[in-house]
Amino acid sequence: MRAIPTLKISISGVRGVVGESLTPTLLTRFAQAFGTYVGRGTIVIGRDPRTSGEMVKQAVIAGLLSSGCRVVDIGMCPVPTIQLLVRQRRAQGGIAITASHNPAEWNALKFIGSDGLFLDSGKAREMLDIYHQGEYTKVAGAEMREVEEVSGATDLHIEKILEVLGPLPRSAKPLRVVLDSCNGAGSLVGPRLLERMGVEVVPINVTPNGLFPRPAEPLAENLGDLCAAVREHGADVGFAQDMDADRLAIVSEQGIAIGEDYTLVLASLYVLGKELGPVVANLSSTSVLQAVAKRFATSLFLTRIGEVNVTEKMVKEAAVIGGEGNGGVIYPRINFARDSLVGMALVLHLLAETGESITEVVKSLPVFHLIKEKLVCPSHKISAVMRMLRQEYADYPLDLRDGVKVTLPNGWFLVRGSNTEPIIRVIAEAKDETTARAIVAGIYGKVQTCISS
Amino acid sequence: MKPLKIGITGVRGLVGETFTPEVAVGFSQAFGTYLDGGRILVCRDPRPSGPMVLAAVTAGLLAAGCEVIDLGIAPTPSLQLAITWLKADGGIAITAGHNPSQWNALKFVRGDGLYLNSMQAEELLDIFHQGEFAKAGWDRIQPALKYQDPIAHHIQQLNEVFDVAAIKERRLKVAVDCCNGASSRLIPRWLQEIGCEVLAINDDIRAAFPHHPEPKPENMAQLSAVVKAGAADVGFAHDADGERLGIVTELGQPLSEELTFALATRIRLEQKTGTVVTNISTTGAIEEIASAHGATVARTPVGQTFISEALLDLNGVIGGEGSGGVTVPEVHSTHDSAAAVGLILEGLARGGRPISSLVAELPQLTMLKHNFSVEPNRLYSVLQNFRVNVEREHLNYDLTDGIRVVLPEGWVHVRASNTESMIRLIVEAGDPAQAHFLLDWARDILNK
Repeated sequence: MRAIPTLKISISGVRGVVGESLTPTLLTRFAQAFGTYVGRGTIVIGRDPRTSGEMVKQAVIAGLLSSGCRVVDIGMCPVPTIQLLVRQRRAQGGIAITASHNPAEWNALKFIGSDGLFLDSGKAREMLDIYHQGEYTKVAGAEMREVEEVSGATDLHIEKILEVLGPLPRSAKPLRVVLDSCNGAGSLVGPRLLERMGVEVVPINVTPNGLFPRPAEPLAENLGDLCAAVREHGADVGFAQDMDADRLAIVSEQGIAIGEDYTLVLASLYVLGKELGPVVANLSSTSVLQAVAKRFATSLFLTRIGEVNVTEKMVKEAAVIGGEGNGGVIYPRINFARDSLVGMALVLHLLAETGESITEVVKSLPVFHLIKEKLVCPSHKISAVMRMLRQEYADYPLDLRDGVKVTLPNGWFLVRGSNTEPIIRVIAEAKDETTARAIVAGIYGKVQTCISS
Repeated sequence: MKPLKIGITGVRGLVGETFTPEVAVGFSQAFGTYLDGGRILVCRDPRPSGPMVLAAVTAGLLAAGCEVIDLGIAPTPSLQLAITWLKADGGIAITAGHNPSQWNALKFVRGDGLYLNSMQAEELLDIFHQGEFAKAGWDRIQPALKYQDPIAHHIQQLNEVFDVAAIKERRLKVAVDCCNGASSRLIPRWLQEIGCEVLAINDDIRAAFPHHPEPKPENMAQLSAVVKAGAADVGFAHDADGERLGIVTELGQPLSEELTFALATRIRLEQKTGTVVTNISTTGAIEEIASAHGATVARTPVGQTFISEALLDLNGVIGGEGSGGVTVPEVHSTHDSAAAVGLILEGLARGGRPISSLVAELPQLTMLKHNFSVEPNRLYSVLQNFRVNVEREHLNYDLTDGIRVVLPEGWVHVRASNTESMIRLIVEAGDPAQAHFLLDWARDILNK
């Protein structure tokens, strides 16, 4: 079998491996295509701390300047900070230089529109057409605009969070927090936000040097050090960020990773307690969220997977909170973006205002068990697998907006083909682990038969 | 055909047309590949496309695994001097030198501070065309840039070479026109340090070029006015990256750029005699000045590296060319308008005579130049045709670079430009009538 290409050009941007497919020529062309697409405006750029970040940034600057854009470079920062700055500067767009949770050898460009949201699929396709067409705006030297380096973007982000959420209620003993930033973009800003909120911070993995101390996804299995540190320091909570600081996972005061699905659940509990309104999440979100919506007698809308689908629905339904089951919390009063800083602030407010511990909060909610798995499947078999599942489960309520989601009497599952790897992703949830495992085992059997037929 | 000139002096083109970020990225990555990584210095002149090209160059170098030190806006010679100082393996100067502001270019500097020679440049071009560049993986790529200001170091080098005490003593009044180029950061500051009274114009790197940056008489009207109004002892005009120098006498007379090197040679040979190195299209006055001082002249093809390398080979005392580029080997073996300024000020300070009287004693020859724009794909057939005609007339010719024909009236030199898509025709004779005769003769053949 041929090697799987390391370059992925899609509506979510361009992603590749540095030293292989992600060359400066390709990057500068993409930046020119984006500059051509948005048309000579101000573009905000920022990056995560990967070792290739400077190279990628310089290639992007060259392309943007060449196409007549003015560049606002906010340096190393979380992705949501870039999105915030795009709106604050009334910029024409932004480029986030980050491969989020991909390993250290990867990097990527993600394109942000003038609304601070990632380009939706329609806009992204238009931009890709310009890229492939290869005819970019090229301004003459005299019309070329400059690069403005902005150093205080993350301060602005912190101020915005403090301004919207207000101070934590006074308590005799401040909350103690262990923060694991994965040496990522949150390394510098995360501890500052927590200090400003008046909590005691024990930071770990806050050296933004591009070296990954753990796999970047804030999954429970990657958070051993954080769990240990929470126990060691007797902390009230542990927070784990990913490389670009959009996702957040939570560790309880007992040093147990409660699962990244609970981040949006806890944030929603706090927000709905203050302000009632619809909640938006994607199809793969936990049923616990449904229970929370029910508790506040509000509606929960589930969208296709992808941040931009969630934000679009949030705008449409005037949602008060939204996000994704992977730990991405979107709180529109601060930022229409998945924002781990906002997530931390909301969870701390919940703890401080209820006086409950993480464990107590989780215990007050119904229990579900969520399983996320990957199954190897040749790319050309993926559509056959999907067809088979639609037929096999035709008697149950189906949701076919994104892969196949089936609601069973004892739980639900969602199967999607990956557009980046020859795998299918399986997410299943039930009241207990045995039932969830049984659901997954049932799917596996059917899928294997289908692949080998 | 759109102008993009890829040649031995680097790559040069019009920004917004042919000189795209891809070209700059590709050449820089090729250069990083050619040097096999290492520490590379970059600098730029202040033209508005500089930041774009700098970003592209930086990306290409980093991607190839280089360590990049950004010297900011600085004369190219400051970068060349900094190569040894900062123990660098090479450099890229982002400047189109004497070209107008819509142009930009990359000049490649090797580990000894000189430009690539023609063989090295061809190797670089082959790597560029092959398109297979070194690509550093995530664990080898440099995560950040470094910064360094080379100006103070350049000044220190100049102060070590020239008789600063003598210059200070004379309290010379010096007018300078930096064309808002990179020299704005070096020349006024240095001249003040060495006790000159400085009348500086166009020394703002944030402003646009006030005139064409080539230091020719037609671009020196403003400087000439300042020299006269301020009663300066001399006026110096610089190109955008501090290589070429034009001179205005204390009478306010702008000199032909051909006289910069002639004057510098005369001053130098009075101090110290030895081999003078120049190219084959520079004025024959150099031979006359040299023979008056018992010195010899070596002629090279056109291109700075030929002069630099010949200077080193022959242990020459001065090098230069008719464009206004002068090399003072004690500073470094490459053109440096600051070094030329130092040499001339030293001559004025020690000799005590006004510059116009030195100029009056130079041989009086008439040189005429004419450029023909020719499509790049026709350049060499036009030259070949000229050669055939010259052979038919059984004239004495030299093929060191293009075709140089020696006639009873003087000489004619025809060659392809290294930087633009054009044929350069230069003739020189003892008087204007003969020079015009030669120019017409050559022009007729070329126009055929």
